[in-house]
Amino acid sequence: MTARDRILNAVRAGLPTPRATPDAIAAEARALLDAPEARRPALAAPGLADSFCAKAAALGTTVARLPDLAALPEAVRGYLADHGLSATLALQPAPSLAVLDWSGIERHSAIAPDEPVALGLARWGIAESGSLVIHSGPDTPILLSFLPLHHIVVLHEDRLLPHLEDYAARTAGEAPPRNAILITGPSGTTDIEGSYVRGAHGPGFLHVILIAPEARPAD
Amino acid sequence: MSHATTRAPFKARADAALADRTLKLAIDRTTGTAEAKRAAALSAFPEFEAARARGKAIKDHVIAHLDHYLEEFERNAIASGARVHWAADDAEARAIVTRICLEADARLVTRAKSMLGEEIGLPHALADAGIERVETDLAEHIIQLAGEAPSHIIWPAMHRTREQVADLFRTGHHPPPAAEDPASMVQSARRELRAKFLGADVGISGANFLVADTGATCTVTNEGNAELTTTPPRIHIVTAGIEKLVPSTAHAFALLRLLVRSATGGEMTQYTTFHCGPKRPGDADGPEEMHIVLVDNGRSRMLADEFRAMLRCIRCGACMNHCVVYRQIGGHAYGGTYPGPMGAVLTPVLDGLAAARDLPHACTMNGRCAEVCPVGIPLPTLLRAWRARSWREGREPGAVRAGLSLWARLATRPRLYRLASRIGVRGLRLFGRGGWIARLPLAGGWTAHRDLPRPEGRTFMEQYRAWQARKGAGR
Ligand code: SF4
Repeated sequence: MTARDRILNAVRAGLPTPRATPDAIAAEARALLDAPEARRPALAAPGLADSFCAKAAALGTTVARLPDLAALPEAVRGYLADHGLSATLALQPAPSLAVLDWSGIERHSAIAPDEPVALGLARWGIAESGSLVIHSGPDTPILLSFLPLHHIVVLHEDRLLPHLEDYAARTAGEAPPRNAILITGPSGTTDIEGSYVRGAHGPGFLHVILIAPEARPAD
Repeated sequence: MSHATTRAPFKARADAALADRTLKLAIDRTTGTAEAKRAAALSAFPEFEAARARGKAIKDHVIAHLDHYLEEFERNAIASGARVHWAADDAEARAIVTRICLEADARLVTRAKSMLGEEIGLPHALADAGIERVETDLAEHIIQLAGEAPSHIIWPAMHRTREQVADLFRTGHHPPPAAEDPASMVQSARRELRAKFLGADVGISGANFLVADTGATCTVTNEGNAELTTTPPRIHIVTAGIEKLVPSTAHAFALLRLLVRSATGGEMTQYTTFHCGPKRPGDADGPEEMHIVLVDNGRSRMLADEFRAMLRCIRCGACMNHCVVYRQIGGHAYGGTYPGPMGAVLTPVLDGLAAARDLPHACTMNGRCAEVCPVGIPLPTLLRAWRARSWREGREPGAVRAGLSLWARLATRPRLYRLASRIGVRGLRLFGRGGWIARLPLAGGWTAHRDLPRPEGRTFMEQYRAWQARKGAGR
């Protein structure tokens, strides 16, 4: 008998018979998710963006808000200058970023082991926790979020979701990527005497640039 | 048999720990912070009680349908391109992981902290196979340099003070840290481990959750070491206990809210990552192979007996942070992979009651662990169940059996019992000084490390009678 059969048999031996049908199990599992508002924290502020910003700031993430994506390169130049960093950037190879005017900044897509700064896009943001969601893919290397010392993340305000469950609901039924990552604050550790230190292995600086929703033309 | 089991008897290990002042200092520094931060996180989350009840229900649901969820998970993990292996015990799990590494000609393996990896003795197995293992979690890195086992499930190096860590890094890092404050030492570890992350052939992680409806495994870390372990190497291996299943991502989130607050007092870990299969065609990075090893190792046995509730455990460590015994003796004295109250329940399952009989006794039954457990595990009840089983199996030493029989004979004869207590209470006063008894003949085990309050001079029953008489007179 294979280990698989031995384990499943042993598990079944400890459970009552007859076993519930898959439909009954699924219904029970769904019921365990009902009325989530009674079991999760309320948002930190009335609006999604304000709540996201409050939570992110509490974790040491810095947040800047821009009117549109075109303003991004200027804001990045400012960030690099403020931190005394040279004008070089590992840039996520995403079409919406490639078309911007990056003059004055050297860009590359390969991420060096000691990359000072990298910039990428978040797929979603979560207002409840100030988290950024990133999915791996052809133009989204995972290491872009982990190797640099400074991680700059662009998040469109209309990609903000209120709660963790809303992200789960958005992606339910989709084919999952190799990695779905929720990033909540800069890398940190409390492994030496419980005292908090930033920048353990991942980025020591997390900077979110929140892009306002596109202004709709007036009717 | 867990590799971490130390051979010296528990009492000797506990005595040594109690005599170690530095250890006490190190434990207090971290558990104190952990307790305060958890309390603050809970006061900011008034829904915690409701969330805890639901978390418990989710785990109970999964356990009641574990066969169904294991098969669903396996199906979806295979569909995502992962390979699923099953290990009935620790030896099988070790064999599967080393075989994958050897077949891949792996020379360097990076590992992201996983208590299950410790439970199955993975560090030793890799060493025996001649494979270099690099622990990437900062605390695991510290204890790897020290050649030690973890002493806590969340802070494995909790027993080390910053001064001791500085000593380890000074000789273990090339170049040594620039300074010996925690920030400089963390910097130094970051530099030291960077090349290892990128040069590894295999990355091994555990899983906090196995998501049945996607086939994904989920890890949570604050350092970012898990993703640096699981992304660059050609092969990613996950080892996980079969109780880690959840029906869906949303269920994982419901448990995550409980886990993080209970473990570190945070609201979310910095990195919550779902790993689903190997890298997809066209992906910018990621491993070419993903293997998932599902480990039973005693869990199906727990399912069938009175320890089933223990399968709810999400390994948050709150029970040990709040345990008066753990805070005195630390994790190593327990001698198993898992310390504290949850370890005292689990170690007899893993190592056998004969080897771990003392652990369920190392408990004051104050109930703090059950109070803080985010999935409502009745830890004192389970510890008592081990004591009862030990008694039934005749494992209690003769002196204990004789003492308890004598006590039972007295306790069933109220007049005799009261007489004995009257004598006892008055006798005990002779040994006290001020309000406390610091030394007692034949009870050195009790008084060596703590004082006993000096009795009032009269038994409870005597005082109660007197009070009743006064009340009657005053009417
Ligand atoms: S027994 Fe409860 S408190 Fe202890 S580690 Fe497990 S879940 Fe946490």
